[in-house]
Amino acid sequence: MTSRRPAVPLVLLAFAMAAALLACSGQAEAVPAFARKYHTSCQTCHSIFPKLNAFGEAFRLKGYRMPGETEEMVTEKPVSLGAPAYKRLWPEAIWPGELPGGVPLALNIKFAWVNTSTLNPDGTVTSVKNDLQFPQEANIFGAGTLGDHVSFFGEVTFGENPDSSVSVELEHARLNFDSPFGPEDAFHIRIGKFAPNLVDGIQEMWIVTDAAIDSLFAYNPIGPAGGTGLAGDMSPMPISLPDRVRGIEAYGILQHRILWVAGLANGISPGPNGGFDGNNAKDYYARFDFKLGGMGLDGDLGGKAPPAQNWRDDSVRIGAFIYRGDGSDINFESTNLDGSAVNVQDLHFLRTGLYASAFYKNLNVFAAYLHGSDSLQLLDPATSSPLGLFEPPFHAWFTQADYMFYPWLLGSFRYETVTPGDRSVPSLRTGVFNVSALIRANVKAMLEYQRDLREGRNHSLNGLVRFAF
Amino acid sequence: MTRHALALILTLTALAVAPTVPMVQGSAGGTITGTVTAAGLSTNANAVVYVEQAAGPFTPPAPAQIDQRNLKFVPEVLPVVVGTTVKFLNSDSVAHNVFSPDYEKYNLGTWPQGQFKDHTFAKCAKAPCVYTQLCLIHSEMQGFVVVLQNPHFAVTDAAGHFTINDVPPGKYTVGVWHQKLKAQPKPVVVEAGKPATVDFTLGR
Repeated sequence: MTSRRPAVPLVLLAFAMAAALLACSGQAEAVPAFARKYHTSCQTCHSIFPKLNAFGEAFRLKGYRMPGETEEMVTEKPVSLGAPAYKRLWPEAIWPGELPGGVPLALNIKFAWVNTSTLNPDGTVTSVKNDLQFPQEANIFGAGTLGDHVSFFGEVTFGENPDSSVSVELEHARLNFDSPFGPEDAFHIRIGKFAPNLVDGIQEMWIVTDAAIDSLFAYNPIGPAGGTGLAGDMSPMPISLPDRVRGIEAYGILQHRILWVAGLANGISPGPNGGFDGNNAKDYYARFDFKLGGMGLDGDLGGKAPPAQNWRDDSVRIGAFIYRGDGSDINFESTNLDGSAVNVQDLHFLRTGLYASAFYKNLNVFAAYLHGSDSLQLLDPATSSPLGLFEPPFHAWFTQADYMFYPWLLGSFRYETVTPGDRSVPSLRTGVFNVSALIRANVKAMLEYQRDLREGRNHSLNGLVRFAF
Repeated sequence: MTRHALALILTLTALAVAPTVPMVQGSAGGTITGTVTAAGLSTNANAVVYVEQAAGPFTPPAPAQIDQRNLKFVPEVLPVVVGTTVKFLNSDSVAHNVFSPDYEKYNLGTWPQGQFKDHTFAKCAKAPCVYTQLCLIHSEMQGFVVVLQNPHFAVTDAAGHFTINDVPPGKYTVGVWHQKLKAQPKPVVVEAGKPATVDFTLGR
């Protein structure tokens, strides 16, 4: 086996990806359907949307129910799908449920003013200046509760492309069963396509900026000497820490302070079997978090008064997570240094990480570290005979600081880096500066500068306006 | 119209609008009044406040009535003294059913607009005996017949106010029933011609 230098410097791939992701970024967003349901402002759950405050995080984890929620708090009364007394008649009757009182839909629209500079492999620079992507993206959300112990979340994203075509993606569609038994919030289970709690919650904090954290979510480990950078138009789906899965997940909150997560996911798709699960082998993941100080993960205050500023939550949260995937039988096409074709299978891969977040007054600093290892099987594309097996590790980390200058003004800085499995290529280092301002509680303007810290000709400056209703 | 005919009409009208509270032997007495607060709910209505035990016997009154109107039981909560017959009317243009999964359990069947069916709540070993009223056709409908030992009861209005009139002087325990919340009973002393006040705060 021969190792190879990447044909394209890693940094170029990184910025090509970053530019591409501009059109499809955006994980969770604010959901104004909840503002209508409770007749409350976005600020109840968000500091600068979509970043959740501690109360919003509890609301999310509890299955879109407020801590200590009473009937009186729900202004938009639900529609009964069965009198409560039918619970006593089950299984002779259908268990009673509810529908949201109003149509639980919301719309989120993003306009972008885009300026990018990208260094090409031939040494030239491609520039995009003052590209008015009005609009760039629209998201339709559906979210709410279906009576006791059941909640749902869905999101369809429409992106408009330069050639006037429209891309549509069903980003989320999940059903939750919340505290179906046992102590409240100790056990929840969800099925569908969703952002796994492996990273959700963490994401809620880092999606303040519009730049995706590619070092964690877009690394491509496939290569004859290990991965060299970020995944581009890679098919099958990139092998990385997944930001969304199709699967089943259980999670719960213990003693107000401990979050546990265990999940099962389809994994890489598509594969030789043509199904959503490419190889009939499931991926598994788990997470364990502990929060010290501030509001409990379920909204418990322990009898203490919460701070007057809704974004403050003096606390420290630490966690660890692990994802084990199986990519056997799924071929990724690659090339050796001599130009010969080779197929690569990631027989199994492991992503382990640590996470920490600290709030002190107006400052929130958070970071995550990810270690990845892959069992790469090289195969002759013609005969499928094995050519070699090796396990290149990679690691990545990022840290971000958010500071609330005013209730409507947030400044952020993020540094991220990834050291690829192929050690012959340099590490990726990226810096992101962001200023977010709420024009209204549901209208946000952002100015964001992203720079490749190794190659100054790779950078972008974008202005964005988002509004949700 | 003759004077006799007019008298007959007035008598019948008076009977028609008369309250369904039964005749109470020795009923001249005081009043129990107060407020019920249903914590966390959007209304304080439909709590039944009642005297737990009073000296009887009590003659059941004329039949009470629950209507099914606009896909709702009206009233939603009906307290009655044991032995009362309740007429279940259907005022909707769609068919309704009435059944109860409680105590002796009954299913009165299904009937169209303008018709009614009866059920007599003949016994109640330990008041209050709460009979949930359900409709098999419209599963969201729910009502309650609360069977009590004596006729000294009232249902709260939206503000939580209630008044129980004509309670014979004496010492009583006043209880409160609510479909979602509960509260401990409270003692009260009733004096002739005087109001006695008792308030409740309902919780989980």
